[in-house]
Amino acid sequence: MAEPAEIASLLKRIQDGDREAFMTVIRLYQQKVFVMAYSVLRNREDALDAVQETFLRLYQKAGLYKPGNSFQGWLLQMAKNISIDSYRKHQMKRREWETSKPLEEIPVAVEDRTSDSTASDLRSAFARSVEKLANRQKMVFVMRHYNELQFNEISEAMRISVGTAKSLHFKAVQNLRKWLTPDLGMQR
Amino acid sequence: MNKCALNRDDWAAFLSGNLEGGRRTTMAEHLEKCPACRAEADEMRRVLEKTEAVKAEIRKAVASVNWEALPASIADRVLADASKPVKAPRAGWFRAWAFSLRMKPALAGLTAGLVVGAAAMYFALRAPGPRPGLGTGYYASGEFLDRAELAMARRNTLDYLEKSQYVLLDVFESAGEGGGTPAPFRSEQARDLLSKKKYLNAQLERFQMAKAKAICDQIEMLFLELAQISDELPAAELGRIRGFVEERQLLLKINLVKKELQSEI
Repeated sequence: MAEPAEIASLLKRIQDGDREAFMTVIRLYQQKVFVMAYSVLRNREDALDAVQETFLRLYQKAGLYKPGNSFQGWLLQMAKNISIDSYRKHQMKRREWETSKPLEEIPVAVEDRTSDSTASDLRSAFARSVEKLANRQKMVFVMRHYNELQFNEISEAMRISVGTAKSLHFKAVQNLRKWLTPDLGMQR
Repeated sequence: MNKCALNRDDWAAFLSGNLEGGRRTTMAEHLEKCPACRAEADEMRRVLEKTEAVKAEIRKAVASVNWEALPASIADRVLADASKPVKAPRAGWFRAWAFSLRMKPALAGLTAGLVVGAAAMYFALRAPGPRPGLGTGYYASGEFLDRAELAMARRNTLDYLEKSQYVLLDVFESAGEGGGTPAPFRSEQARDLLSKKKYLNAQLERFQMAKAKAICDQIEMLFLELAQISDELPAAELGRIRGFVEERQLLLKINLVKKELQSEI
């Protein structure tokens, strides 16, 4: 991760239209932004679109960054919001497409993320359970385990206290444990 | 969930190796001693192990992207977007607005309602005073009303002159042959015409009918005398009135004014 002073300098240059500075910031954070977007969207192309949109937003709003705050948290917060918006749009389009198509033309092999069917594939069951989590629990869980952020970074990205981040994380794990009990063969 | 008073928020952090220092040691020592917490921790660990499968999927997706080329690609697109001139307001803004309304039927309906309502309010409130089709049920301009009143004044004058003429001729017959209409009835006719003349005076003055007014005034003067005629009135008095009419050529003047009025009606 870049030093705060280095980030501040890069952002200043970006505001002046410096292409190299912009590319440097992209190189430093592109994978973290991608992981955040992919965790929400679960689609490579949609995630890449969200990455581009996030850096476009950064280029336009570089002057709004407040030195002293976590730049990574600020950037991932933008990525998270953009990804959630994108997810909602895609979900709406998918619903419209499915309802406007004849039944026989809808591919039955498409994974249903919201279904509660008892699939034997634990990975699918786990992914569906994460989707079922309340929004804030899901974001904390995704940031902690997929983006591998520390709780203080999560708290900055979500603008919540570290204690709230930990509490949301604990509730998320508890819910997953409850929902996955049948699939994991746990005894209650 | 067991009843142990450990910090609940530290559970998942401990299991994912994110709990540091003394709190980690405290948690580990407790799990050694407490079977219930240990069982719960095992379940949580198994749940978190499943994140590895999703993380593997994410790692696979990350590996499929050309990270070397992506920054330049993004920078090119973003800078190209930024260098585009800001679009000036287009002349076809109304078309764009109408198109957006077409895409939003509820908004279009609301706008149409506002336009119709505003038009209705405009027509209802635009001008005070009488309007066609409202109030009395008919409408006429001031000029038309003036013309109608003038025509009515002429007809009333004509009617007055004709009736006066009959009365005067009757007087002549009475004075010449000793017959004709009885004196009480003639007096009554004269009084009736005198009352009509009062009503006619306002019209004659308003429309400045000077010639007609002059002849009507002379007739009125005669009728004032006739109204006082009784059975006892001597024939000499009637002869005097007849002489006055002939001298002034009153009947001739009445005919001339009547013709003039008839031509104007």
